[in-house]
Amino acid sequence: MGQEFILLVSASVFCVGACGFVIRKNPLIMFMSVELMLNSVNFLLITYSSFLNSLDGQIFALFIMTVAAAEVVVGLAIILTIFRTRHEMDVDHIDALKG
Amino acid sequence: MSSSWLILLFPLAGFIFLSWYGERISKTLAGWIGCGAVGASFLTSLVALSDLLFLSAEERVGRVHVLYQWISAASFKLDFAILVDPLSVFMFLIVTGVGFVIHVYSMSYMHDDPEYSRFFAYLNLFIFSMLVLVAAADFFFLIVGWALVGLASYLLIGFWREKTSAVLAARKAFVMNVIGDVGMVIAAFAIFESFGTLNFVEVFAAAPGTFRTNDDQILLITLLLLVGAFAKSAQLPLHTWLPDAMEGPTPVSALIHAATMVTAGVYLVARCHVLYELAPYTMYLIAGVGVLTAVFAGTMGIVQYDIKRVIAYSTMSQLGYMFLAMGLGVYSLGMFHLMTHAFFKALLFLAAGSVIHALDGEQDIRKMGGLQKIMPLTHATFLIGALALSGFPLTSGYFSKEAIILSSYHADMGNFVFWAIAVLTAGMTAFYIFRVYFYTFIGKTRSPEAHPHESPPMMVLPLLILATLALGGGVLGPWVDEFLAPVFGREVHHHHDGALETIALFAGIGGIVTAALLYVTGKKRMELIKEAFAPLYDLLFHKYYIDEIYDLLIVKPTKAIGAFLEEKAEKQGIDFAVDQLGIQVKEVSRGIGVWQSGKVRSYALNMIAGMVIILLFVVFL
Repeated sequence: MGQEFILLVSASVFCVGACGFVIRKNPLIMFMSVELMLNSVNFLLITYSSFLNSLDGQIFALFIMTVAAAEVVVGLAIILTIFRTRHEMDVDHIDALKG
Repeated sequence: MSSSWLILLFPLAGFIFLSWYGERISKTLAGWIGCGAVGASFLTSLVALSDLLFLSAEERVGRVHVLYQWISAASFKLDFAILVDPLSVFMFLIVTGVGFVIHVYSMSYMHDDPEYSRFFAYLNLFIFSMLVLVAAADFFFLIVGWALVGLASYLLIGFWREKTSAVLAARKAFVMNVIGDVGMVIAAFAIFESFGTLNFVEVFAAAPGTFRTNDDQILLITLLLLVGAFAKSAQLPLHTWLPDAMEGPTPVSALIHAATMVTAGVYLVARCHVLYELAPYTMYLIAGVGVLTAVFAGTMGIVQYDIKRVIAYSTMSQLGYMFLAMGLGVYSLGMFHLMTHAFFKALLFLAAGSVIHALDGEQDIRKMGGLQKIMPLTHATFLIGALALSGFPLTSGYFSKEAIILSSYHADMGNFVFWAIAVLTAGMTAFYIFRVYFYTFIGKTRSPEAHPHESPPMMVLPLLILATLALGGGVLGPWVDEFLAPVFGREVHHHHDGALETIALFAGIGGIVTAALLYVTGKKRMELIKEAFAPLYDLLFHKYYIDEIYDLLIVKPTKAIGAFLEEKAEKQGIDFAVDQLGIQVKEVSRGIGVWQSGKVRSYALNMIAGMVIILLFVVFL
C-alpha cells in the first residue's frame, strides 16, 4: 500500500463526513459525520506515525479520541435536552440565536 | 518625639473615638471625653509654654519638631513636622484654653440634643484642625489645617441639618472659605517657585535676600495669602458668611469667633510677617481693609435685632482692628487684641447663649428684657463682656484696643484717617453692644409667656472663668509683647499721647451713654431717629445689600451659565454624542446580524467553503 492510497481513503472519508454534516438535518447523524471527519484525521496521523517511525502521531490520535469521547457526552446531553423541550430534532428549526 | 505632638494628638483621638463609639456610650461620658481631650491638650500646651520659658529669647524661635520625612521627590522635601515657637504656643493656649471652656459650657447647653456625641466629635475636630493650622511648620500643613478648619466649620454651622437656613449658611461659609483656600494654594505654588521650599524657617530666612521691597513676585505672594486670610477672618469683601454662620449652635459661634477659625487670618499675617514686611503696599492694604471692615461691620451691627448677629458683627469689627494692627506692623498688639478678644467674645457669646437657652431659643432682642433680676450671673458676666468689648477703662479690651488705636496714628504707616475711623468704630462698638445689653437685661420683660431661669452651674462656671479673664486679661499685655518679641524680631514701641487716648476713651464711653439715653429712657426718641434716617437705616439693615449684590453679580450669572451649559453642552453636546454612539453601534450590528442566520448547516457549509478556498490558495499559488 502506497501513501497515495491511504491519503485517498482518508480524504474521501473526510469528504463523506463533511458532506453528511452539511446535508443531513438530524443532529445525531450530524454528530456521526463529525466523528467520521475526526477519525479520518486519526487514520492519517497513525499512518504517518508508522511511516516516519515516530510515536507523536499515535499520541495525538489518542488525544483526539479522548476529546471526541468527551465532546460526544456533552453533545448528546445537549441534544437530549433540546429534544425534551422542543419535541423535534430539525437543526434548521433550532435558530434561537439568530441575529 | 516631642511632647508637643500630644497637643495635636488629644483632640484627634477624641474626634476619632467619638465618631466611632459616640453612639454607644452615654451622653455624659461622651461629653467628658470631648472636654477631656481638649483639656489634656491645654495642659500639654502649658508644658510646651514652660519648656519655652526656660530657653533664652534667641533659642525660642524656629524650634521645629520633625517626626519623619514624609515626601522626598527631587528638590521637593516635606517633613512631618510642627513648629513650636512663642507664636504657635501662644495660639495653642488660646485655642485649647478658650476651646476647653466652651466645651464645658456645651456639655450643659447641648444636653437635650439627640446628637450630642456627634456635636462633641465635631468640636474636637474643629480644635484639632485649628491646632494643625497653627502648629504647621510649612505652608503645606498650613493649608491642610486651613482646609480642615473650613470643613469643621461647615459641619458645625450646619449641625442642625434639618434646618434649611443652617444648611445654606454652612454651604455659604464653605464656599467663601474655599475661595480663600484657592488663593492660599496658588500662593504656596508661587512660594515654592521662588524659594524651592515650603518650610517656614527656610522661606523666611531666604526672603530678604531673594526679593527687593515691593517686587512683583512678593506682592503677588502676599496678596494671594491675603485672599485666604480675608476669607477665613471675614474681612471685606469676603465677609458675608460670618453673620450667617450664626445658624449654628451658640457654642459653635463662640468657638468660631473667639478661639478658632476667624483668628486664623490674623495668625497667618503674623506668621508670615517677614514676607509682608517686604511688601509695604500689601501692608497698607491690610491696614486699610482692616479699618474699613471695622467701621463697616460696626454700622451694620447697630441696626440688627438678632442678639447673636450683633455680636457677630462686632467680631468682624474687632478682627478689623487686628488686621489694622497687622498692617501697621505692630504685630504683638494685634495678637494681644486677638487674645483679649477671644476672652470677651467667647464670654459674650456664651452669655448670649445662656439668655437664648433661658428663653427657649429666642434670639430677637425685641422680645427680651428685664432679665437682670432673673439671671443675675448671666447679666453680670454679659455686662463685663460688653464693657471689655467697648474698651471701658481697666478691662482687658481697653488695653488692647487703646494700644491699636493709638498706633493707628503714631505707627510709621499710621495716619489721621486710620485713627479717626478706628475711634469712630470704637464709639459704635460701645453703642451697639450696650443697645443689646439694655434691650436684653434692663426694663420690663417683653414676652410674658416665657419663663426664663438662671442657667445651670455647668454653664455659669465657664462664664465666670471667662469674665475673670475678660476683666483681668489686660495685665498680660506687656508679657505678650515680650513673649512674642523673638518671633517678630522686636518689641512694640508703646506710644503715649494723652489727648488721643482721652478722645478714644470718651468715644467708647460716649457710645455707652448714647445707648443708655436712647434705649433706657424710652422708645419714642429711637423711633424718631429711625424715621429721620430711614434710607440709611434700610441700607444698614440690609447689610449694604452686599448679599444681594453678590447674588446679582456672581450667583445669578453662575446659575445662568450653568443652566445654559446644561442645555447646550450637557444635553445637546455630551449626552447627544454618547447617545449617538450607542444608536450607531446598534444600527451597524443590526446590519451585520443578518449574517448570523442561526442555521448550523449553513455555518458549516461556509466553513468548508472557506477551507477549500484557503486550500486552493495554498496549493495552486
